[in-house]
Amino acid sequence: MIAARATRWTWLAYGYAALVACALGYGLLGMPVQVSDSLNNILQASQDSPLHLVYNEFYQRGYLRPFLWGLIRLVFDLSQGHYFEWFRGWHVGQVAVLAGLFVALLRVRRAADAAVVPLGLAALVGIHTFSGTIREAFPINTFMTILLCCYASAWLALGTPRWWRDVAAALLLVFSALTVESGLLIAVIFVAAWLAGARGISRAGVVAQVALVAGYFVLRFVVLGVGAPGLDERASGFGFGVLDRNQLTARFGANPLPFYAYNIAASLSSLFFSEPSGGTFQITQRVLAGQASTLNLVSVGVSALGTALILGYVWSRRAEWRARRFTADDQLVAIFFAVAAANAAICYAYTKDVILSPAGAFYALALAVAARHYIARASQTAVRTAAAGVVLVLLSSGWGFRAVAAQIDLRHAAEATRVEWAYVDRWLGDQGVAPTTDQGRAIVTHLQEDAIWNHPVRPRLAGDWLEMFEP
Amino acid sequence: MSGTRATVLGVMAAAPATFVTLAVLLFAARELSGTTPLSNGPPRNVAEAAGGGEVSEVLRFLRDGQDPREIWLLRPEIISSTVTRATGLEAAIWSGQPLVELLDRRGFIADSATRHHLACLAKDIGSGEVAAYLSPGVDPPCATGAAFAILKERSQTVASPAR
Repeated sequence: MIAARATRWTWLAYGYAALVACALGYGLLGMPVQVSDSLNNILQASQDSPLHLVYNEFYQRGYLRPFLWGLIRLVFDLSQGHYFEWFRGWHVGQVAVLAGLFVALLRVRRAADAAVVPLGLAALVGIHTFSGTIREAFPINTFMTILLCCYASAWLALGTPRWWRDVAAALLLVFSALTVESGLLIAVIFVAAWLAGARGISRAGVVAQVALVAGYFVLRFVVLGVGAPGLDERASGFGFGVLDRNQLTARFGANPLPFYAYNIAASLSSLFFSEPSGGTFQITQRVLAGQASTLNLVSVGVSALGTALILGYVWSRRAEWRARRFTADDQLVAIFFAVAAANAAICYAYTKDVILSPAGAFYALALAVAARHYIARASQTAVRTAAAGVVLVLLSSGWGFRAVAAQIDLRHAAEATRVEWAYVDRWLGDQGVAPTTDQGRAIVTHLQEDAIWNHPVRPRLAGDWLEMFEP
Repeated sequence: MSGTRATVLGVMAAAPATFVTLAVLLFAARELSGTTPLSNGPPRNVAEAAGGGEVSEVLRFLRDGQDPREIWLLRPEIISSTVTRATGLEAAIWSGQPLVELLDRRGFIADSATRHHLACLAKDIGSGEVAAYLSPGVDPPCATGAAFAILKERSQTVASPAR
């Protein structure tokens, strides 16, 4: 349970989280509202009344995401025409809250707790599954919304038992599951935490979670007949390449189980080793071709090292776990493994880095917990301290390197987005979604003004050093 | 003793990642203050923006009244050290067909001589897509290397007019 009072180390950790949020926020504010995946959503969300918009989304085919649209409409209405400030500000606010929840979940009380916060936050930002939560927006990044719900769920589950936590947990599940499908992971977090001895949510609350998930499936498949995306919905990474929809159907149409098994295994491997990415073994291919970048090697290296540290933590705690004696740190790590398994299972039909972002966010927490214990264990003898020092410096530098890569990637994405805005008329025509109303045309003009003239592109980074960060 | 070792390990775990965060913040602060660290700085005119493929900056310069038909000074790092005086239209050839088309639609490639020169320049630098756009359906009759030679010669002539 999270009980002890905050200390100066707690506030120092929150202060550091605020700095990380500022650094990332600076990058996020360099990005305009996007064209692809955002402009059309804004135009669509602006057309109907909010209630109709949400209601109609219950009757889409393949996807059930009504609250995603409700949230877009809410921020759209709140913005009163200040689209850039509100949509981009919303994204920055989400990152700030996420960083704060990270520190809250780590329960920083002592210097040793605070020491692992920079490493953990670097892993949170640097892990490849996080990239899709910052470099894209729709125009509200749904996956970031789910990350916040996931961390908030863990905070509810690991806290002191209170009746209102049950209510909040149920509301959180309903909101997240009807925002995007991976929101169902909220239930996994509550159940896993409960099984690991956390009692922030009561038994009745956990039963309610299971009932809500069952209700979700009944609503989706029986009542609304929304169904699920089919095998031929989109291209998918496989081995060293990408199979298009026709190839997928030809190869796995008769028996998709091997493909599903591949996606689950690939998702787990991606989470633990940063390879493959989106189902494709790109880094392996580059290594074999002698073309791997520094970032490629660092990514796999620090992921493997971090995974080893987490597994080492589990090994050191095995006797306690067998006896079902869990500390709050154990509970966080247990949640990570549960979310990893469930998140990989959700990717059975289509694996993509950003879908794994909830598991990636808990990976960062598990890594911080494992590092904290590693410091305590390794400081017993001088030799072990020396070896541990090397491991920790490698981890901290490597994840820091990946965090910088995320910032650079964000900057490149911002530039690419402005190119899209320069050619927006052609894009609207090609997509057949050119607005037909004055209001729609005004929104396009306003957003283009924002992207090109009101918030111009930042100077392009230059230098040979950028080669190290090539993805 | 183990407490001291734990402190040392804590510092080793925290220092590199903290350094990275502070470095990013320092970079942001410097950029906000108007300096451009780790960069060649923003493009200085429409030709630099076009040569660097910064389409949104091209639009900004156009709105500010710069004319892509005029000859502009380019820093060597934008296209190459041999191309330092070029029109915005010529520089746009290096960025590809979409930007050339954008400038064309805005009426900046009005006469056939300019169109022909740009098509030949596109052929000289191996940009077949741009050449095909500027000379649709026909292979433009060009003396190989002549259009690019004009640019090189202009760039080497210090006294040649440029903005």
